[in-house]
Amino acid sequence: MEERSYQRKPVVKIREMKDDYMKFELRNTDASVANALRRVMIAEVPTVAIDLVEIEVNSSVLNDEFIAHRLGLIPLTSERAMSMRFSRDCDACDGDGQCEYCSVEFHLRAKCVVDQTLDVTSKDLLSSDHTVVPVDFNEIAGDETSEQKGVMIVKLRRGQELRLRAIARKGIGKDHAKWSPAATVTFMYEPEININEDMMARLSLEDKQSIVESSPTKVFDIDPTTQQVVVVDAEAYTYDDEVIKKLESMGKTGLIDIKAKEDSFIFTVETTGAVKASQLVLNAIEILKQKLDAVRLSDDTVEADDQFGELGAHMRGG
Amino acid sequence: MNAPDRYERFVVPEGTKKVSYERDTKIINAASFIIEREEHTIGNIVRMQLHLDENVLFAGYKLPHPLQYKIIIRIHTTSQSSPMQAYNLAINDLDKELDHLRSAFEDEIANYSSTREY
Ligand SMILES: [Zn+2]
Repeated sequence: MEERSYQRKPVVKIREMKDDYMKFELRNTDASVANALRRVMIAEVPTVAIDLVEIEVNSSVLNDEFIAHRLGLIPLTSERAMSMRFSRDCDACDGDGQCEYCSVEFHLRAKCVVDQTLDVTSKDLLSSDHTVVPVDFNEIAGDETSEQKGVMIVKLRRGQELRLRAIARKGIGKDHAKWSPAATVTFMYEPEININEDMMARLSLEDKQSIVESSPTKVFDIDPTTQQVVVVDAEAYTYDDEVIKKLESMGKTGLIDIKAKEDSFIFTVETTGAVKASQLVLNAIEILKQKLDAVRLSDDTVEADDQFGELGAHMRGG
Repeated sequence: MNAPDRYERFVVPEGTKKVSYERDTKIINAASFIIEREEHTIGNIVRMQLHLDENVLFAGYKLPHPLQYKIIIRIHTTSQSSPMQAYNLAINDLDKELDHLRSAFEDEIANYSSTREY
């Protein structure tokens, strides 16, 4: 059998990269792959989040399930999640905690004994595993000066108390959004804007000005020296068609042509802090590979069809 | 109250095959692949990859119902290939593309990090 292949070789260019944010260009692939990566980053890259809460004491103003829900939504550092087990597949435990392969235990004890309100935040959650802890947003923002206290869970007045045990588990956003590592993942098609210079040169400065102004975002401007309409920021174009409509109304259809390049995408990835933005992309690639591997035909399926093959050969006439 | 469990969407039930193959009874070199617990993510990339194959006459996928957690990929090829061959080729090519993407991404991270004091 000849070795056929239709494999593409994507090209990546990073524009900006911080711990929880990145922007990059992806070329030489199609929208299906770009969209698969986006979907996997949002719904299928695993993280760790609180999934089980045992309340010992709760005399706060919020009811037990309200607090349990808030705990679930607190981002936990999840670098370990890719190598952890899902509790449902874990044969070392029943998924009820204490098992290092699939869960992490947390404790929270807070009691207000003074007249001033006590803020109970994610910083009061004590983890049994130093690699899985509530995300420190001060560290991400890079300011150690401002005394910010983490994610607010509940406020206690004098005499009120909250005491609980929580189990965090590995999960994916498809199960519950609390497991999604993604705050935003979007991509746009790179626009290609062509201006017909000859037609443009014949326009009055007023007309040029009205064309520039017809775009709700600042895509075009007038070059101060040549007095020509130029593209200043192609990516500011939101595919709103306003410029095209303006030109139509002026009877100048075709003066500006805008199309979306079908193989070039600009990604924006922002995480909750559970994993780094760059790691989220790499994890998404890994998960997508695992998904593809899972949908390969099994040997018994192929064999079953081989037995059918004789009839197939007969149908094909040989 | 009678909503299906959330995990039903992505956990293949015991005793169920992830992928089953159904040869078309009327058309030669046409078949359907029924993939359990997958949706648009896999369906669309496999279909688009199949469209690059010149021996593929038709490739499409459908999600029959939002509460039936499976997709059906249908492939019709020329006599130079077969639905199984085309399906395997598409998956192999996508897998290799992702390998390439991963190393391109890692190189670019290293490259980016070295050019600024990140
Ligand atoms: Zn376990």
